Amino acid sequence: MRESAARVESRALNDIAKQSEPFDALDRMTSAELDAWWARRLSAIYKVAARELPFYRERFAAAGFDATRFRSLADLKKVPITRKSDLLAAQRRIGSNAIGIERVSEPSKDHVTLSLSSGTSGTTFVTHNRRWRRMQGLSSSRGHWWAGLRPGGPLLMSAPAWHSYASIQPNVAMHFEMPCVIISGTYLPRFADRIVDAIQRFRPRFVTMFLPMVFSILAEARRQGLGEELFAGIESMVVTGAPITPGMRMHLQKLTKIPRIAEIAGSSENLLAVDCPFDRGLHLVFDTCHAEVLDRQTNEPVADNVRGAMVHSMVIPYGSIYLRYDGGDVGYIDHAPCPCGVPSPRIKLLGRAEDEFTLGSQAMLPYDVQLALETEVPELGGATCVITREGLAAGMLRLLLIESESSSATLVSAAREKLVHRFGVQVEIAPVRDLPLRFKGVPPILSEREASAPS
Amino acid sequence: MAHPSTSSHNALAFYRERIADDGKPRPWTLADLEAFAAANPGDRYAGRVSSEARPKLSMQIEATAEPPIWMALDSGELDKWAAVLSRIYARWGCATGECIAFFEYGSSPLVILSSSGYVGYLKRGAAERLGINAICNDGVAAMAPRMATIVESVKPAMIVLRRDVIAPFCSAIEMAGVSLKGRARWVAVCDVDGALDRDETQRLASTLGVEVYRILRADAAFLLAGECPDCRLFHIDAAYNVEQVSNGEIAITTRFAKTCPAIRYNIGAAKLERGGCAKAPREWRVEL
Repeated sequence: MRESAARVESRALNDIAKQSEPFDALDRMTSAELDAWWARRLSAIYKVAARELPFYRERFAAAGFDATRFRSLADLKKVPITRKSDLLAAQRRIGSNAIGIERVSEPSKDHVTLSLSSGTSGTTFVTHNRRWRRMQGLSSSRGHWWAGLRPGGPLLMSAPAWHSYASIQPNVAMHFEMPCVIISGTYLPRFADRIVDAIQRFRPRFVTMFLPMVFSILAEARRQGLGEELFAGIESMVVTGAPITPGMRMHLQKLTKIPRIAEIAGSSENLLAVDCPFDRGLHLVFDTCHAEVLDRQTNEPVADNVRGAMVHSMVIPYGSIYLRYDGGDVGYIDHAPCPCGVPSPRIKLLGRAEDEFTLGSQAMLPYDVQLALETEVPELGGATCVITREGLAAGMLRLLLIESESSSATLVSAAREKLVHRFGVQVEIAPVRDLPLRFKGVPPILSEREASAPS
Repeated sequence: MAHPSTSSHNALAFYRERIADDGKPRPWTLADLEAFAAANPGDRYAGRVSSEARPKLSMQIEATAEPPIWMALDSGELDKWAAVLSRIYARWGCATGECIAFFEYGSSPLVILSSSGYVGYLKRGAAERLGINAICNDGVAAMAPRMATIVESVKPAMIVLRRDVIAPFCSAIEMAGVSLKGRARWVAVCDVDGALDRDETQRLASTLGVEVYRILRADAAFLLAGECPDCRLFHIDAAYNVEQVSNGEIAITTRFAKTCPAIRYNIGAAKLERGGCAKAPREWRVEL
C-alpha cells in the first residue's frame, strides 16, 4: 500500500524535528550568546596559559599579549598563532613530548594518556588527563548527537589507538549508555572482514568509520556475497578522516542505502566539527573548540566561505592546550545562521596545506579535483582516483581512475575535456584496474609506483 | 585445584555439550570453540554467553578468524582483569609518574585494560592503579618510525611489543639512533595467543640491552600471565584456577569471568609447579 503524500510529508517533518532536537540547552544559544560564552571561556583559558604554561607565557610575552586584557573575540588578533612547526621545534629543544602546553595534576592524583598528531608533518603529542577525557567525551557526545546518534544499540569502537578519538569514544558510549564493541586488529583494509562480522553480529544503528575503511568494508562485503543488506538497520554512518564531497556522500548513500551519511572533521589536537542535523554543513562543536579561518600570509580573518588556514583554540583548560593553533588544515567558515538552530558557525576542512599544489595559476587541493570531476560529470561522483606526482611535475593533471561501469570511455573522455576547460591545463585520465584500498576517499597525490603498490 | 561449580553454566550451550561423567565440562581449546561457532553460526559468543545477558563490552577474539568469535564482560569483570595486569606490571617494576608505551593494536586486552581512557566501563585500568601514564601506537610495521619518536620523546620506562612488530621496532630505533639501555626498565613481548620462546626473548634482550619479559596470553579465557623476573616461569594470578588435566596439559578456569565463563581452558602441555618462587611463594607457575 502506498503512503499518501501528506503522510510522507508529515513523516519527513517528524524526522527533521527528531534530528533537530537539541543535545542540551547550550545548543539553543543565539550566536551572540555563543560569542559571549566563547569570550568568557577564552579569557579564562588565556589567563591559565599565561600563569601556568611556560610555552604560552613566553609566546604571549614575545607578542606583547596581556591575557588579563582579553575581553571579546575581537581581541583574538592580539593572541600569537602557534603552528605545528613551533611545537616540533619546542619538542626538539626540550627533548621531550612535554613542551609546556600540558595542564595536568600530579601523577599520583591524575592519570594521563597520550595520543599522537596525524604525523603527516611530524609527530607531536597530545596529553589527556581525566578531566580532558570527560569533557571531550561530553563534547563529542554532542557532536555525535548532531550526527544522528541516539541511545540504543551498541557502539563499534572505530578509532585507532594513536588518535585522540580513541580516548573520547569510550566516553561517548558511556554517555549514551551504549555497550562497547571492540573489533580485533586495527583499521587497515586487511581487517575489513572483522568489521563486517561486527556489523552483521551487532547490528548497530550508528557507525563511525574512517573513509578509506568504508571502501574496504564494501569490498569485503562484496567478496562475501553480501550486498547493501550488510548495512540494514544502520540509521546514520559518520565518515571521518577525509573531507567528503557532495558526490561522495551521494555515492556512499547509494552503495550502502544508509539513510544518513554524515561527516565528522577535525584533528587530534582538539578541532571538531560535525554535520548539521539538517545536513547544511559541519558545525563547530563549540563547547571544546573555537575556530577562525585566516589568510596564511596576513593572519587576518578571511571572509565567510573563502578558504584559508583553519586556526583553532581549545576552550577547556585541561590536558594539552592548543591556543590559536594552525595545525596545517585548509578550510572555510560560514557564520550564517543555520535552520537547525545550532549556534556555532559551520566549517569545511578541505585538506592539508602541504597537499596544496599549483595547476596553471591556481593553488588547489585534491578535494578540488574530486569536486570538479563530479561537478563536470555527475556520473563520476565517488569515483576513486589518484593524482600523480609525475603529472603535477610536468605541469599537467594526470589522474589514475579505477575502471568501473560508471567510468566508461565516453565519460572519461568527457571528463577530460571538461577538466581541461575548467583548469586550463593539459589533463590525462588513465583508467586502471584497481588502486590500493587505503587511498580511497579523496584522491591522494602519489607517484605512479606508489599507486600500483598492493593494499 | 578445585574449579567453580559448573551448575550455573549448564545453561550455556558450549559447556552443556561438554559436560563429562564427572559433571565437569571437558577441557577445551580454541579449536573446540571454533568448531562450536562454525556449527552454530547464529551465536556470536559461541555458546558462552546467555541470551539474556546484556554485556557492557564485547570483544572479538583476535586469535579466532574462521569464524570470528566474541567474548563479553561487564564492568566489574573488566576491573578484575585489569587488576591481574597491574599485578604483572608491578612485579616487573614501575614507579608513579612513569609511562608505559604499547606498540600493539588498540583492541588488544593489554592496551584496553591499561586505562579507562581506552575502553568504556573500566573503572581503573592497570596503569591507573599503578599511577603510570600510557601511550599506544598501533601495532603495525608502518608505524615503527613513530614508535622510535615515542621512545625518543616520551621516554617510556616500560614498552609492550606485539611479536610481529619486534623486528620493525628494532630497526626503527636503530635507524633513529635511540637506545633503550639505561632508559627503559623493561620490554614485554606478547603474541596473539600463547607466548614467545624464551630463546627468542633472550636474543631480543641482548639486542635491546634491557630486561625482556614474556606475556602468556589466551584471550578466550581472559588469561594474562607474566614471566617472573626471578624464576622465569609464568606466574598464574589468583584470579585463575589452574589444574593439570591429562598428558601434562594444563587447564585454566577464570574466577572473575561470569558473563562469558572460561572454564577449563586448555593451554596445552606445560610444566606446572606450585610455589617455590621467592617472588610469590604460594603462586602456581607454568612453563610452556
